[in-house]
Amino acid sequence: MSATARDRAASRAAAAEAQPSPPAPGIDLIPRRPLLQRQVDAWIELAPGDRPLVSAGDSVVPGTPLAEHLRDARLVETVVGSGGLRPGDRWRGDAAAANRKRGHPPEGELLFESGGRWWVVAGEHSEPIESPVSGIVREVRPGLGIALRAGGAALEGALSLGGLARGRLELATSADGELLPRALDVGAAGAILVVGARIDAESLTRARAMGVRGVIVASLASKDRRDHLASESRQHAALHRLPSFGVLVLHGSVRRPISVRAMALLEALAGREVAIIGNPPALVFDPEGLDLPPDAPDVVHVRSGPLAGQSGQWVGLAGLRRFPGATHLEAGFVRFGDGPPVALPLADLERLT
Amino acid sequence: MTRDPRAFFALDLGAATTSAALIGRVSDHWRLLGSLSFPSEVPLVAVLARLVERFAAADPEIAMALGVGPAAASWPRLTVHSVPPAGLAVVAVSERALGALADVAALTGWRVIAGSAERLDPLSMTKMLLEQDVTAVLVGAGEPPGADERGGLGDLAALAAAVATRRPELTIILAGAMADQAPRFETRPAQGPGAVILGPAAAAGIPPGAALRATLEGLRGLADDARRSFARATATLAEALDRRVEGIDIGIDGGVRVVASPRAGQEPAMTAAAVVADAALAPPDPDEEVVDGVVGWSTLPADRHRMRDRLRELRRLPWGDATGEGAPFRLSAARAALERLVAATPDLDALPPADLLVIAGGAWAVAPGPAIALAAADVIRRPGVTQIVFDHARLLAPLGTIEDHDERRLVLADLAGDLLAPLGTVVMPQGMRGGRNAGRLVVHGATGSSEVDLMPGGIELVDLPPGESAVAEFEFRDPVRLGTRGKRFAVDVAGGLGGLIVDLRDVPLRLPDRAERRRELLAAWQEALWAGVSG
Repeated sequence: MSATARDRAASRAAAAEAQPSPPAPGIDLIPRRPLLQRQVDAWIELAPGDRPLVSAGDSVVPGTPLAEHLRDARLVETVVGSGGLRPGDRWRGDAAAANRKRGHPPEGELLFESGGRWWVVAGEHSEPIESPVSGIVREVRPGLGIALRAGGAALEGALSLGGLARGRLELATSADGELLPRALDVGAAGAILVVGARIDAESLTRARAMGVRGVIVASLASKDRRDHLASESRQHAALHRLPSFGVLVLHGSVRRPISVRAMALLEALAGREVAIIGNPPALVFDPEGLDLPPDAPDVVHVRSGPLAGQSGQWVGLAGLRRFPGATHLEAGFVRFGDGPPVALPLADLERLT
Repeated sequence: MTRDPRAFFALDLGAATTSAALIGRVSDHWRLLGSLSFPSEVPLVAVLARLVERFAAADPEIAMALGVGPAAASWPRLTVHSVPPAGLAVVAVSERALGALADVAALTGWRVIAGSAERLDPLSMTKMLLEQDVTAVLVGAGEPPGADERGGLGDLAALAAAVATRRPELTIILAGAMADQAPRFETRPAQGPGAVILGPAAAAGIPPGAALRATLEGLRGLADDARRSFARATATLAEALDRRVEGIDIGIDGGVRVVASPRAGQEPAMTAAAVVADAALAPPDPDEEVVDGVVGWSTLPADRHRMRDRLRELRRLPWGDATGEGAPFRLSAARAALERLVAATPDLDALPPADLLVIAGGAWAVAPGPAIALAAADVIRRPGVTQIVFDHARLLAPLGTIEDHDERRLVLADLAGDLLAPLGTVVMPQGMRGGRNAGRLVVHGATGSSEVDLMPGGIELVDLPPGESAVAEFEFRDPVRLGTRGKRFAVDVAGGLGGLIVDLRDVPLRLPDRAERRRELLAAWQEALWAGVSG
């Protein structure tokens, strides 16, 4: 064998050693899910009476007003010239004294026409709905919503509460931590806080009051969700408008830590400007410059059960096994760190791509 | 489709679960050779590969005869899908008219939201119709319209027409006298999304409501709909077995109840079915009634908030956290869903009781057979004798897709023994007096006789394995109702995983008001049929 051939053989051997060995059989039964969405189509809901300020094809940047939300929408019955008007069209009231006397607002949106009269949604107080992301408006449907293709990538959550939000990302706790109300002060104003495993409604209310723009949390209990929504509802009813505040719940309702991969991403995003959108519930950010190495092929993540949030190495199928609760489930062995393999239900596992 | 090949796959691709079964021709009969269920996110190709691999390892001889190998991937497939129910908004002028429409719509598999002009102002109603989940709107009135409706028909139709202008993709159904308002709607396609359909009034048809139900069921679409197919297979099973069969399927997105009778003498075969979205194992946004229902069946000490959290988790990850407390919690949610299904279908209760109760659906996936039988007996309180079986491989719905009636019947007759796992026979007398020994039971089986004292208020279990049958002789102290009224009864009973279950509890079941006592009682009954569930 020549020296060149020997070199080639050696380099092939070295390359083979560098290749990770294929994962043990059975890993194809673990569902795969992308950690990040590379195409983000956000839907910003509008109600009848809200006035869109953008059109399909418009480019928007963070802070661009997308629409005016009518805060005190009410119905007005009026006679309007019928020339080609359609539901959803804007209506501007005339300056007739009779109308002003009846307390008619100056403008609104046509709802429906019956018996020669139009019902109009109108009000006097509005607030802007600003884009939290840069992107392109794809569709505007008065009374329904605005479809926006956001630039960047997104980490999807389980649900989102509140409004659209934008701010710099700050880590307030570890992945399994919990933020208490007294830990919040005005120093966090303008930030979107990562608050660990759970947060209660009191802390959410205080965060909002301190000027925090949003919260990212692993889980939010139904009671805290209800209480927060009630608090938000009272805020909206007040005339004094506060900045939009968003809550992104990453994993669900039952307490658990933020998953390892999600937390690694959030740590990498710390200090950057990010946005929370509600539909789909997601954290949107610019992935430029982020170094997020993919998982090794045999890495699996625990998405539910007592070990939820942890990552381990796939060892192989364990067959049908009996678990606590006298339940028999298809299982697989997973090794966490240097410990012995643990049998877990396959359905509690996932792979992130 | 099943005549030529030697084997085929039966696939039930649900919103939460992918179930795959392998059926093969063995000794001139179709046999169930294996089945697997996984979360729906697992690729089907991986599930099928595992299924074939396991079968080949378990029985290489038959596998070779059937030609298991790379060709297996191309074997025919009978496939059904179940998807989350689409939203139907039901609107009417009056609450009275709305109630009739909404009651009919609730049995057709749509997720129904409803509102009348009597309760909602035009802005609220418009918002309701514009909700993203709504894909069709039923605007209805009586035929002829009632006095409480006439004045508002025009305004309601105008509102609906305006909504249709904003959302041209909405299908609009104008029912009853509302059909006269069709000219208010812009020209739209004759069928498919965006069509305006003139439908019958809520009370039209025999029985009343049948005509509108047929219209709404037809609009639900999905040619290979698992629920529709389950109903068809249940009807064929009744013919094949020549027995009255009741089928109950509870899934993550809804429940199905079917009652089918074979032809008997001059009486034609009969099938009645209802698909109820509200009978989902874990409804998308569980309201107080749903949460209370689960709390009422729970053996775990959890407040309503925590129970709501668990239901939301179950919805998000139907297969997740199924061990430990998650296992009995699922069965509590399944009981509550079954209770909602039964409550929504009183017309089916009025039909002659079934001889065979078939339980199906992903709701029961993690519970052992005897516990499933108990859950069914807890909720379906019908005095008499019922054999309970479980569609463990989720085969019924895929087999319902076989178009040819005779072929479907042949395949079901062949497979009935394999696809229906016998859970046991429930004997449920009604009208016993509490507090003392109510009588005696003697079971004459193949291996001898056994005697049991009958204590009112509890459950007596008699070991009777699957495949065995026996004669159960009851002698009550006082007259009870068990099909007929009397003191002495001799009934044929079939064995099962739970054996013979003599249910001496109240009909209907009365549970203690105190939560702790209720949980203890439910747990005790459950522990008797699900050993180790609380350990």
